[in-house]
Amino acid sequence: MAAPNLSRDPLEPLPLLEGTHTDKTINDSLLNHVWRGAGKGWWALFGCALSALGLLVIAICWTLYKGIGVWGNNIPVGWAFGIINFVWWIGIGHAGTLISAILLLFQQKWRTSINRFAEAMTLFAVICALLFPLLHTGRPWFAAYWLMPYPSVQRIWPQFKSPLTWDVFAVSTYFTISLLFWFLGLVPDLAALRDSSKSKTKRMIYGIFALGWRGSGRHWAEYKWAYLLLAGLSTPLVLSVHTIVSFDFAVSVLPGWHTTIFPPYFVAGAVFSGFAMVMTWMLPAREFLGLKHVVTFKHLENMAKVMLVTGMMVTYGYVMEHFIAWYSGNPYEYSQFFRVRQHGPMAPIYWLMIFCNCVVPQIFWSKRARTNVLVLWFASILINVGMWCERFTIIVTSLHRDFIPSKWENYSPTWVDISLFIGTIGLFSTLFLLFLKFVPAVAVTEIKELRHELAHDPTTEPVGETH
Amino acid sequence: MSAGHDAHEDSGFVARRFVLAEFATPEGLLSGTKKVREAGYKDIDTHTPMPLHGLEEALGLGRPKIPLIVLCGAIAGMCIAYSLIYFCNVIDFPINVANRPMHSPPANIPITFELAVLLAGGSSFFGFFTLAKLPTPYHPVFESEDFARAAVDGYFLSIELPPDGDQDKAFAIAQSAGALSAELVTESER
Repeated sequence: MAAPNLSRDPLEPLPLLEGTHTDKTINDSLLNHVWRGAGKGWWALFGCALSALGLLVIAICWTLYKGIGVWGNNIPVGWAFGIINFVWWIGIGHAGTLISAILLLFQQKWRTSINRFAEAMTLFAVICALLFPLLHTGRPWFAAYWLMPYPSVQRIWPQFKSPLTWDVFAVSTYFTISLLFWFLGLVPDLAALRDSSKSKTKRMIYGIFALGWRGSGRHWAEYKWAYLLLAGLSTPLVLSVHTIVSFDFAVSVLPGWHTTIFPPYFVAGAVFSGFAMVMTWMLPAREFLGLKHVVTFKHLENMAKVMLVTGMMVTYGYVMEHFIAWYSGNPYEYSQFFRVRQHGPMAPIYWLMIFCNCVVPQIFWSKRARTNVLVLWFASILINVGMWCERFTIIVTSLHRDFIPSKWENYSPTWVDISLFIGTIGLFSTLFLLFLKFVPAVAVTEIKELRHELAHDPTTEPVGETH
Repeated sequence: MSAGHDAHEDSGFVARRFVLAEFATPEGLLSGTKKVREAGYKDIDTHTPMPLHGLEEALGLGRPKIPLIVLCGAIAGMCIAYSLIYFCNVIDFPINVANRPMHSPPANIPITFELAVLLAGGSSFFGFFTLAKLPTPYHPVFESEDFARAAVDGYFLSIELPPDGDQDKAFAIAQSAGALSAELVTESER
């Protein structure tokens, strides 16, 4: 909780690694939380997560048994919680790829302490996201049948000119690549786990997942390239995924959707919400898992700055949408942005969105706020809420008041909608807590590499004795 | 895994022998590796908890193969995706919508890109494990007790001895190259 030593020279950078370390102390301190038994706090959180997961199972079973009529969707609000949650979760996943891939390409050293964590988050967020499009087909066991091109007797192919079909390819590619990238990065750390485990069973289990990794120089030579290329591929991939998600809306003619600013504004929003989610989980994790020496205030500050920048990009997107609605002279657009959103039945959600996404991140101009754990944590929660409200505003508010007043209809979610949403938070939390229990939350190998780099870099303060 | 892999008990199993030398520092390992290689040993490998800069030169490795494999994966993905869409939309089931063209390249870009990334990423991952011959649960170097530190904080050099090679000579070279300690590990028959 303590703020960093602010009395130090402000021009001197905050350290990336705190304290004096050797390979061995890094190894032990970062693996410690895996070997240590689960504490009461972990079990309490896991219990809550499992209960929410139970709710998800009930809601899924009820949806499959009764059909998607149990959701609150109607005509004209044919897309509601399902797609809101899909876009929200996918966006959260994007910060993981940004941290692990884009910051790697930009050689940002601070990414090393948080990339494993963020990549795991990506993976679990995409799993949660994928549930919704599968469930909204009503019969997910037929989903592959409708979504994938395969030769059938009906001779019907998917509509390759539709962004919804592009989405199928984009999201499934994104999930696969994220999984491969995460596992590839994990293999050396699994070997470290195998070799520092005390019991034979654990050595066996981690040994199986480590695939017989022996740190061979011949392997490392190819490994570095495989890892770098996966990062290079993930970078345009993450941009393409959210661009295609935004096309789902932007190619239609609905006021509120029909806009060319959607792709960049969706990507910025995705990074914004993703960093907020990393922050929400990282702050308690570094506290309870003993990771403060690798996730320092420098990391927290940098993440806060990214949230500030992307928050302002999102704000710019909102301003532009409103400007174009006015400037185009299109009465439907004007009505959507200046009457329905601001004064309509869903207006509270719109104003909550403006508060959480535009006003709250401004607090990060202050260094005191950027280095105060409580402020960071509450702000990150509010940003997550704000980004959910943004998707609600875009989707439901636009749909429920379109061109013809006779088509207008209000929307309210049912208990199934709400349970599915809370349930995916439970699924995400369950997976994440299991990850924190069984796998090192920080990329141990990369921290060792970072320590050596810092030790040999004359511009940084010495970290640990040089070998 | 050449000699003893498919050998049965009576078929003349020849155990591979390695001299496993530990170095104190990564820099020491790099210069030591170079010296051992210059002394004429070809089957050498390093074992480190992290990738080291300059390892490729020290081991005398050629260009990495992964980039080419990934390029092939990307091109394959592009070709498969584009030709699939072309086949579906133009050849197998053309649908005339207001006389718009059957073959519309801009609409094909996203899926072509995604499949290129998918196959390129897949070939990077699976290409690496194929090149590295992993998973390999057993390797003679695991026979050493000390080797458990290779993934933690130990810097090792393994020298595979030729079947008739002299282990004492390898020990001497490892010592002169700056190794802290060296031991002989022998493949066990399975």
